[in-house]
Amino acid sequence: MSRRAKLVILGGSAAGPSAAARAKRVNPDLEVAMFEQGRFISYGS
Amino acid sequence: MQDIDVKTEHRVTKIDPKGKRIEVVNLANSQTQWFSYDRLIIATGARSRRLNIPGSNAKNIFTLKDLQDGLRIKNYIDEKRPGQVAILGGGFIGLEMCEAFRLRNLETFLFCRRDLPAGNLEKEISEKILKALQENGVHFITYQEPAAFRLDSNGEVTSLETNQTHFPADMILMAVGVIPNVEIANEAGAELGKTGAIRTDMAQRTNLADIYTAGDCCEVFNLVSQDWVHTPLGDIANKQGRTAGENAAGGNATFSGVVGSAAFKVFELEVAFTGLGMQMARQYGFDADSQVIEAESKVGYMPGSKQMLIKLIFDRQSGRLLGAQMAGKEGVARRINALAVALHQKMTVDEISRLDFAYAPPFSAPFDPILIAAEQASRKVQRS
Repeated sequence: MSRRAKLVILGGSAAGPSAAARAKRVNPDLEVAMFEQGRFISYGS
Repeated sequence: MQDIDVKTEHRVTKIDPKGKRIEVVNLANSQTQWFSYDRLIIATGARSRRLNIPGSNAKNIFTLKDLQDGLRIKNYIDEKRPGQVAILGGGFIGLEMCEAFRLRNLETFLFCRRDLPAGNLEKEISEKILKALQENGVHFITYQEPAAFRLDSNGEVTSLETNQTHFPADMILMAVGVIPNVEIANEAGAELGKTGAIRTDMAQRTNLADIYTAGDCCEVFNLVSQDWVHTPLGDIANKQGRTAGENAAGGNATFSGVVGSAAFKVFELEVAFTGLGMQMARQYGFDADSQVIEAESKVGYMPGSKQMLIKLIFDRQSGRLLGAQMAGKEGVARRINALAVALHQKMTVDEISRLDFAYAPPFSAPFDPILIAAEQASRKVQRS
């Protein structure tokens, strides 16, 4: 079995979580990791 | 979120586009690790700009960009009970915080380099904002370039010095704009646009293979000026993020751009705008003219009807709407959306003046303020 494709997202405020959710919806097999330097995600919207 | 590996307090320090990996520092234990990727989305946002003047790193100088910044300000007010706050910068953040500080009963001073707040908006709108500030006890102080902060022995600001005088302050909010976080992207070879933000296209790609970008760190296409601009706003970030996510997952989405719409509230005053202001419209080569009207938000006999000011900016030759700005205490923020649609559709002021808007006395007069403004503007359009 081939390994799952990996999407990495830098930033967890507005664009990052939107991108992660959409990517997962388009391709549920995608491995998605999101890195955020602060303590919170989705903190601006 | 489902099956998404979220790592907070992890700072990405390097992108290796050839090796398709990123270097990440875990801020909890300072350990550095490399993570590999097949596709990467750079959504590193923007950071608050800080004035680089003596004393500007004092503990009671705040910026406001995210939840942590907001909590820091709130906790400081709760603990230290400051009496006076000085806000530097008359943009949206500074203006919205005037209201927040007044609600906490702080004596509020707004320092602005221009003679009116919201200097990027039209003068007529800025004058309404100034009036709202004054009605609510905010001290607006103009043409005071801050020179330094005077600190006490605890390293806290006690006053703000300008080139003319000095003002006592128990805390400072610096609201002087944002800088896109482009450094790690740029070091990896991602091109920047003329705005200094990451260059992208309508698929949210960068110039680097398998690397996308979205949000406050990158540019966005302005459909009115047909130019790439830096407009760091949360709604745009979400739309770009959605596009980048779809494409990075193998889809084929596009985000065609914005017309430049936004709204904010200063005490009771709603301010909303879309498209270009006069100065920008002229810079982009339009033969720009404008029309200002004031009208009631509802039929005048209805309770709660309030005056609103509308300024339309349009091309004198084609009649095409180029921008609109509004201010008033009722019915403003939602109304602007009709004009945002008009900008997307490149409508003329004459076409706008004949739109079939919903009418009932609690919502507008038979001639909606937008229709009145557009009708008056259409009389200024050259007929060939």
